[in-house]
Amino acid sequence: MYSLAKVSRGQSALKSAFSRSVSSKASSAGGVSVIGFENKGPAATSSLTVAIKAGSRYETTPGVAHVLKNFAFKATANASTLRTARETELYGGVLSAALTREHLFLSAEFLRGDEEHFLSVLASVLSSSQFHGYELKELVLPVVQSESVFAQTSPSTLALDVAHNLAFRKGLGNSLYASPHYPVTLDDVKSFAQGAFSKSNVAVIGSGISTEALSQAVSSAFGSGTSSPTSGSLKTQSTSYFGGETRIPLDIHAPATSVPTMVIAYGSSSTASPDLKVLKHLLGGESSLKWTPGVSPLSQAADKVPGSSAKAFLLPYSDAALFGVVVSAPTSVQLAGLAKEVASIIKSAGKEAKDEEVKRAVAKAKFADATSTETLEGLVAQAGPALFSGGEIKSESFSGVSASSISKAASELLKSKPTVVAIGNVSVLPYA
Amino acid sequence: MPSLAKMIFGNGPLGPSFAPWIKSKPGLQKYWARWSNFYKNAAGYRKKGYLYDDLILEETPQVQKAIQRLSPQQKYDRVFRMRQGLIQSMHHKDLPKDQWVKPEQDVRYLTPLIEGVIAEEAERAEWDYMTVEKIQQKRAEKRNIFSKKEGHH
Repeated sequence: MYSLAKVSRGQSALKSAFSRSVSSKASSAGGVSVIGFENKGPAATSSLTVAIKAGSRYETTPGVAHVLKNFAFKATANASTLRTARETELYGGVLSAALTREHLFLSAEFLRGDEEHFLSVLASVLSSSQFHGYELKELVLPVVQSESVFAQTSPSTLALDVAHNLAFRKGLGNSLYASPHYPVTLDDVKSFAQGAFSKSNVAVIGSGISTEALSQAVSSAFGSGTSSPTSGSLKTQSTSYFGGETRIPLDIHAPATSVPTMVIAYGSSSTASPDLKVLKHLLGGESSLKWTPGVSPLSQAADKVPGSSAKAFLLPYSDAALFGVVVSAPTSVQLAGLAKEVASIIKSAGKEAKDEEVKRAVAKAKFADATSTETLEGLVAQAGPALFSGGEIKSESFSGVSASSISKAASELLKSKPTVVAIGNVSVLPYA
Repeated sequence: MPSLAKMIFGNGPLGPSFAPWIKSKPGLQKYWARWSNFYKNAAGYRKKGYLYDDLILEETPQVQKAIQRLSPQQKYDRVFRMRQGLIQSMHHKDLPKDQWVKPEQDVRYLTPLIEGVIAEEAERAEWDYMTVEKIQQKRAEKRNIFSKKEGHH
């Protein structure tokens, strides 16, 4: 259907990513902040995402955010669960809900022209979800349970979850997953949802639709929505970094894909700086080419142990950041050796970095930053927090990053107490 | 209004009943209520401590699902009434008169749930056998606020 000739030459994906992130401006529609990104490409689909400040850090009861996520798109005053699902199928759309530590994202992806229907679906989820007790029991809790169990069987997911708990304790340290130790009742979900779904707590992000069209549609669709600012909005405490160590034996019933894993992380209670973003790529761990480990120190270290991996990560939050490395190896003995090597790499991070290496890392960071907005998850993850913090979405500037600024940022970060999580044979794995 | 046959036979596990038809005619219902109350008292289940909804045949998937949806307290009370009634039946005795179920205590605690389950099944059947024309009609009727964008792609 689409010939290549229709795509004009100047619009590479990268360029449009930049132009779109610079040019888009948020607007407000009846108290809801709204932003639309128009695709210049031949895409025939649009997406709408409602970002809600109701991530796990706002939880009133452990696990309630996870349950609320799975309560999305269930019965509302307008439509039953079945009707919502079947109509979506008929329109050829996809409804999804995603939970992060800070936000709950309700997304609808669909063919262009069906905006009105899907916006009304999203609006009715916010304004008139019924929260039937039997739906909690029959539809929601089984899914919550299986997601929690699945997270437990994945050592890297579990390790990161536990690492957050060690690093930030409460608030950001809350687990993303509901736990069988803390039952969530229907009343918990209802009161959490009431705080979460108030208009001031919600922003709408559209792609394949202009901001003007979106704000017009949102103000008509959300007009009847719950807007009462009197309903107690969700609260969270400001984040402080603690750090610590924990060791978890790997369940012997875990599937063969669950390999011993360690997370070595350092956190700060300030937002992620461009220096840290570059530092992540400087340490690396991910190869840009197939069949070669690459030249970054982490991937060089991981290459010595067959089947192992060591990847740097940076998790940015609105008032904190967690930087570290996830290390895994097929056996705990191999992991112990590798982890020691990784720890020494982290300790010398940013020191004696050659200009050429820094340049390479900056280029990688720039590309990763630009390309992240190409997927819906990436776009939403970037636009959601920006909308709540007042507005404009800018692409990160890496112009001030140099070898000296990186080593300064790294030494600042490494001053704090490390967060170390070891999952595997704990009698073999090293202590922090 | 559904047809008379559907009203009488379309009650799923609740069995064939004239009740929906009678309910749809207020005058008739007013007249019939005295016979209904006479029957309920004469049937004697209240004397054994049962409620009317305890007598509904429960060996169907729909009623089983509805019973699952009762609150823990309701489930407990239901089992208690059944055990109490069973013991009275074995002894060929009624409860002492002060323990008989009063008409105002005889609430239909299960019927609305069964009706909910039946409605869900009916909705699923409707969606399973629907034609897509419905949505196309709806779409044509709707004013498209994005009509400017039409033909853009």
